[in-house]
Amino acid sequence: MTFTRRTTLQWLATATALSLANRGAAAAAAPQATGAPPPFKVVDWPASIAPMPATKGYGRDPDLTAPKVPWPLTLTKPQRATVDMLGDMILPADAASPGAGTLGVGAFIDEWISAPYPQQQADRAKVIAGLTWLDAQSRVLHGDAFTAATAAQRATLLDVLTVEVPSPAMAQPVAFMDRLRNLFVLGFYSLPEGKADMGYIGDQPTEGPYPGPTPEAQAHFATLLASLKLSMPSSSRA
Amino acid sequence: MARSPKVAESAVDVVIVGSGAAGGMAAYTLTKAGVRCLILEAGRDYDPQAEVNMFAPESDAPLRGTGTPDKPFGYFDATVDGGWQVEGEPYTMTEGSDFRWWRPRMLGGRTNHWGRHVPRFGAYDFKPFSRDGLGVDWPIGYDDVAPFYDRVERMIGVNGGPIGLENHPDSPAGCLMPPPKPRVPEMLITAAAESLGIPVRAAHTAVLTRDMPDKVAPRSACFNATPCTRGCTIGAMFQTTTSLLPMAKATGKLRVVTDAMVSRVVMGARGRAAGVEYVDRKTGQRHQVTARAVVLAAGTGETTRLLLNSGEQGRGLANSSGELGRNLTDSTGASFSAFIPGLAGRPRYNEDGIGGQHIYIPFWLYEQQKRGELDFARGYHFEIGGRFGLPSSAALPRVWGKDLKQAVRNASGATIGLTLRGEMIPNKDTFCEIDPTVKDRFGIPVLRFAFRWSKHEVNQVAHGRRAAHSVFKRLNGTILDPDLPPEQIMTAGGEIIHELGTARMGADPKSSVVDSYGQTWDVDNVVLMDGATFASGPHKNPTLTILALALRASERLATRLSSGALA
Repeated sequence: MTFTRRTTLQWLATATALSLANRGAAAAAAPQATGAPPPFKVVDWPASIAPMPATKGYGRDPDLTAPKVPWPLTLTKPQRATVDMLGDMILPADAASPGAGTLGVGAFIDEWISAPYPQQQADRAKVIAGLTWLDAQSRVLHGDAFTAATAAQRATLLDVLTVEVPSPAMAQPVAFMDRLRNLFVLGFYSLPEGKADMGYIGDQPTEGPYPGPTPEAQAHFATLLASLKLSMPSSSRA
Repeated sequence: MARSPKVAESAVDVVIVGSGAAGGMAAYTLTKAGVRCLILEAGRDYDPQAEVNMFAPESDAPLRGTGTPDKPFGYFDATVDGGWQVEGEPYTMTEGSDFRWWRPRMLGGRTNHWGRHVPRFGAYDFKPFSRDGLGVDWPIGYDDVAPFYDRVERMIGVNGGPIGLENHPDSPAGCLMPPPKPRVPEMLITAAAESLGIPVRAAHTAVLTRDMPDKVAPRSACFNATPCTRGCTIGAMFQTTTSLLPMAKATGKLRVVTDAMVSRVVMGARGRAAGVEYVDRKTGQRHQVTARAVVLAAGTGETTRLLLNSGEQGRGLANSSGELGRNLTDSTGASFSAFIPGLAGRPRYNEDGIGGQHIYIPFWLYEQQKRGELDFARGYHFEIGGRFGLPSSAALPRVWGKDLKQAVRNASGATIGLTLRGEMIPNKDTFCEIDPTVKDRFGIPVLRFAFRWSKHEVNQVAHGRRAAHSVFKRLNGTILDPDLPPEQIMTAGGEIIHELGTARMGADPKSSVVDSYGQTWDVDNVVLMDGATFASGPHKNPTLTILALALRASERLATRLSSGALA
């Protein structure tokens, strides 16, 4: 049984969707509302994942002038392929920058979930279980692994994994995608290509006093102040 | 610069335990006065010139430089070999306490990676009991400390502007270097805060904005790049490893032994200390050093532990008052942030500046407090954040694909943060003591901490959140911090790394451990110079006051040594 992306988008539109304006404070406090279930049977979340072989971190006193990752990477080839594919979907190539998968951010994901620290190990449990779930769900819907599905089928699954208010059965899959997405954001935007995509200017020694905002930035600020009906602060007046 | 531990082979006048702000200042002041000093530092030798990686991008580091239990403040953070946990050197907590104890364990201590915000305490801060009947007054007032603030600001290099507010003293002309221009988000916060009657001022920051020439340790003005907490090879940020320690060393009067874990003060004749015993952390061997005076500048916790482990079994040394280990405080901490739609997609420019905040919000409600209109005593301030870079995940909607890329571009530079730091009033349930059974790997008994916030701190944080949110709302911001009770958004005890007060100064030997010069009432050649001596823990970051009091105490000690008072 296969659902088209269009069906899913219709379902998404009718499911309760909250904008960013309602996230954060309000959402965190209120008991989580339950969203509508997706238009298919959600497969069970994996009961357990294989433990990682014991390994060591970089210690409290690593050589900061020659940074190295001392632990082995642990994703299997198929898992890494899935992660790379997800990377190019989550942060796709556009005019500004390449896709995260193509850029090799999958290697960072692997490094992260293979690190022997509590936060990273908790993320590992989430990510490995999530990849397992994704393949199982894909097999039920399309008869094959996620990477073998069509672009539209994969997009449908990603839509379901980013619904604002998940149904109880989708809570863990959505939490997995939240974590993976945030890891991709961290991995991608900390690279030179990602910084350029954000238009980041910095990391450049500048002799003399800090120059402060450019005229263009000042002008934008003045317009913003006016729109907010605020006066120019005393400290920025000449 | 340091040598491996061995028995001191030449006579020393003063042995100084610790090489951070207080130990560095003691070594500098005493050696300049001709006093022969030996620094014993528990941590390893450290040379920022050789070890600091200022320029590498975070993507060069494991996990993109993210903090881990091994490197809590990030891979490139200058903390080496220490942190929240130290191998084989545990500490314990009483049932129901949550306390974090930061131990740097390196030459230069926390000054290698500190916050650099250096406000002066004001008149109220030295006389809190007189103002509200809580805690105790200091035996000295602002006027006693002001000349030392003046000198320390010029000595370490502080930039900042005028404040002109009640209980926020201004520095005389010539003390401060010019502050950097504010960034756009800082100007926006200023505009919103001022419209609500909340003042905003240039922060006082221990970063040079002008060169500071010196024959021994020349320091350069900040070049407006790289994170300060990695350490600063050009010396723009004040750290003792690039300033006071090399300067003291150049007098020829200072020797430094690192990896020297001082275990106790050794007593001699006539009720005086003869010196200290230390353990070589590399070999486990014990050594003794004799000196005419002992300066304890090991940091609040370690100084207190040392004294509790010295002298009389079960009571410790210099504890006739019973106050040793009591009156522990840390600053309160809470962070608030918002997404400001009006900042989305704003024009890009270089917002690195001098590292941290350029401006801050000093406490402004002393009048209301005096009239009884607030449900907490004492004050707090806000440190300000908001710059271009990767926005927090809380500021990103749950989307994928092109929408996510656009959301990141939008949110970059569009989030602002207000970080609260507040005063804690000492309470009877917050203290440290020697654990009756646990010892570290050298066999030295460890500290056990008890910690509890009182209603004052909880109400203060709740007030701070309302104030921060009022600023965000004035800017049509989307608040990103979770809506939880104040108890759940507050930092744990010790987490702000402002632990103070466990050997407080006073005018009365019955209720204090040291006099205003850090000299213990019970042993006149043991002098404390770190945060342990604070009679209260104002919301203003303590390092500038630690330096000022250490300068004052060191000059007094030098006078006593030369006048024969300690013969």
